[in-house]
Amino acid sequence: MVEELRIKNGVVYDPINGVNGERREICIRDGKIVEDVMNPKVIDAEGKVVMPGGVDVHAHIAGGKVNSGRIFRPEDERRGREPKTKVCRSQSGYSVPNTFTTGYRYAKMGYTFVMEPAMPPLLARHTHEEFIDIPILDKAALPLIDNNWMTFDYVKSGDSEKLAAYIAWMIKATKGYGVKLVNPGGTDAWGWAKNQGLNDESEDWGITPAEIIRALAEANEKFEMPHAIHLHQNNLGHPGNFEMTLETYDVTEGVKASKDRSVTHLTHQQFFSYGGTSWKDFESQAKAIAEYVNKNEHVSIDTGTVILGDTTTMTADGPMEYSLYQITGRKWTNCDVELETGAGITPFLYSGKVGVHSIQWTIGLELMLLVKDPWKVALTTDHPNAGPFIGYPIVISTLMSKKRRDEVLSEIHSAVYDKSELPSIDREYDLNEIAIITRAGTAKILGLQEHGKGHLGVGADGDVAIYDISPEERDAGKIQRAFMNTKYTIKGGQIVVKDGEVVAAPEGRTFLVEPIFEDEEIYKEMLSDLETKFRDYYSVTMRNYPVQDAYTPHPYVIKAPMAK
Amino acid sequence: MQMIKLMVKDDVMSGVAKIPIEVDSLTPDNLFGKNEAEIKAVKVWWGNRQENTGDLFEVSVDGAAGSADEVKIVFEGDLTRVKHIGDGMKAGEIEAHGDVDMHCGAVMEGGRVTVKGNADCWAGREMRGGELVIEGDAADNLCAMYRGEMTGMTGGKVTVGGNAGECVGQYMAGGEIVIKGNADVLAGYAMRGGRIVIEGDAAIPGADMIKGEIIVKGDVEMLPSFKYIGVETIEAETYDKYIGDYAMGEKKAKGTLYVRKK
Repeated sequence: MVEELRIKNGVVYDPINGVNGERREICIRDGKIVEDVMNPKVIDAEGKVVMPGGVDVHAHIAGGKVNSGRIFRPEDERRGREPKTKVCRSQSGYSVPNTFTTGYRYAKMGYTFVMEPAMPPLLARHTHEEFIDIPILDKAALPLIDNNWMTFDYVKSGDSEKLAAYIAWMIKATKGYGVKLVNPGGTDAWGWAKNQGLNDESEDWGITPAEIIRALAEANEKFEMPHAIHLHQNNLGHPGNFEMTLETYDVTEGVKASKDRSVTHLTHQQFFSYGGTSWKDFESQAKAIAEYVNKNEHVSIDTGTVILGDTTTMTADGPMEYSLYQITGRKWTNCDVELETGAGITPFLYSGKVGVHSIQWTIGLELMLLVKDPWKVALTTDHPNAGPFIGYPIVISTLMSKKRRDEVLSEIHSAVYDKSELPSIDREYDLNEIAIITRAGTAKILGLQEHGKGHLGVGADGDVAIYDISPEERDAGKIQRAFMNTKYTIKGGQIVVKDGEVVAAPEGRTFLVEPIFEDEEIYKEMLSDLETKFRDYYSVTMRNYPVQDAYTPHPYVIKAPMAK
Repeated sequence: MQMIKLMVKDDVMSGVAKIPIEVDSLTPDNLFGKNEAEIKAVKVWWGNRQENTGDLFEVSVDGAAGSADEVKIVFEGDLTRVKHIGDGMKAGEIEAHGDVDMHCGAVMEGGRVTVKGNADCWAGREMRGGELVIEGDAADNLCAMYRGEMTGMTGGKVTVGGNAGECVGQYMAGGEIVIKGNADVLAGYAMRGGRIVIEGDAAIPGADMIKGEIIVKGDVEMLPSFKYIGVETIEAETYDKYIGDYAMGEKKAKGTLYVRKK
């Protein structure tokens, strides 16, 4: 049966195709955008805002540590309970919602694609199992390859070809999408109760995080990978870390991108834009970070903007979680993943009464407002680390309304007036820029625009969000409400949300990248090294390691050949 | 004064496995202003189904009320699987004739609940105000916080005629609990304020407490992390006074534990 849909009279924001608030018709047939349709179901979007489905570049929505967060925060589970309906399964949770809830809430906000940015390779099956249970959304996951002993070996030996062969194997074995780094070197050192700065040599391998980052960026660019390396660098969340942040940005300067995108995507940079020498003289250095991003083409960032309130922090950056736990004294859990990575989790309350938290809140907004080119910056809350993803509409309205920013600034800790640039920034985002930081730009950063995401051109996926506001609306409250619950969300040509209610919950797809490493000799040598690692150290055998096809019932495979 | 009698129908609890009824919608605040037919139509959860009150209870209404304060609800019949009696109530009175299931008087803000029997776990959980009287025993987690939360009872008064189970007033931050009998292990666990009086015996009370006071009149199995301060007289009786819990660190240990001298 041919399913056709026509969305008429809407005001369309489709930045990839240069459509900035024009009245256009959108036609969809068989789940794809087409020129015209014959017998469509018609949606009248008279005067409403129409955008491509949202694309989230970084949100921890599935996998081992997310589930540990759910288990160890029953009090979070109480917030946001909803009984099952004819369409939806039962919902629960606020900062660590259950899988079903995650799908429904994103769909209600008009999102149709989410990147899970930290998949421990050994536990990849868990991530994919949860993907199967997250309805509506298309998803992908980035395996953690930076604290891996194979990676360490090849960085030490300087064998860039074998490193490329290894990441190709690893991304395929885990059904992943790209290369993720979290505190390179530091998470492994944490196994010995240590941490690492950018240029500290590790005790066992004698290599530095900077060397790991550069080597993985070069290995990544040996393929036509859709996405840059995705880097959560060293020294997250410490006062004065902005200097190391700028040094880290320099590490991949000069690496040639194999595609039209950045070489390094630096994630949740709010946590890396801190000045001062201690929590007492803590201040924002967002301006320095933004200036660097403005001047350089090899980096893109997402913000990790703080949502004031309670949340659950979780990251593969084990030592950082421990130091956070030392500050709060709340519950904390920690995990090691053999040879590969680790993780820590602790709850956290961002309070507007606390100076540091208030300044943190301003930094995430400053980054978005001070980076001039919205294509280089993406809206995230590093869900759930700086706040849950359902806070996006709050951030959107805050970016669009100087008035709202001033209201919040007057309510939170007065330190923000001395320690942050935010009060003096007048810029307000328009809807076109919002569309860039929430779908078009994020799709480009992830290389998904070639695969039908983030735009509404002919051939794109029929993923559309219709927001019930007029393009002229300036009232922050109304903007927030509109972005919280769409008038319609359409996923693959199917109406999944109507008037803020989920009306259909189809299964989503999993996007996989298959890097193709050509030199068979080198690949064989790498496999032989890997077999030794499995034999000597892993608690599983190499044959049982790769994730079977059954874990991705609806795969979308992107081939990444060697770069020319 | 308005009296609303709610008698659990015999056949509702006659199955091999009794299916619990959750009655947090049957509070004076919610039933005030409703006539008998309307009360019968109020929804309650019975297992995983929502049912009409009138299908599960014999309902009789007597008199009239000018406000929720003048409404008295009396639960009768087999209440052993009736949960959330008085949950969230703000005014008026509830009387339960018999043993009641979990969460009786939970997050209560005002009014009075009397249980003429025993109460199962989580009675007075996260209570904010009002009065809860349990004439029999209370099971575990009386006036505690729910799993994972960091605040238990913050206000109101709870009296237990018999014994209480484990973890009385866990994370309690305000209000008063009086237990006429004994309290099982860990009364006042991680207490942050308020007052617990145990007229019988207590085992390792006050673990992790940083504020508030616990008074025990019977025998106490003490934790080693409490510091003896001296003797104090309360209401003409002599008590040994301790400060703790030093397991939480010297600066934080500001809880007080009084143990009656023999």
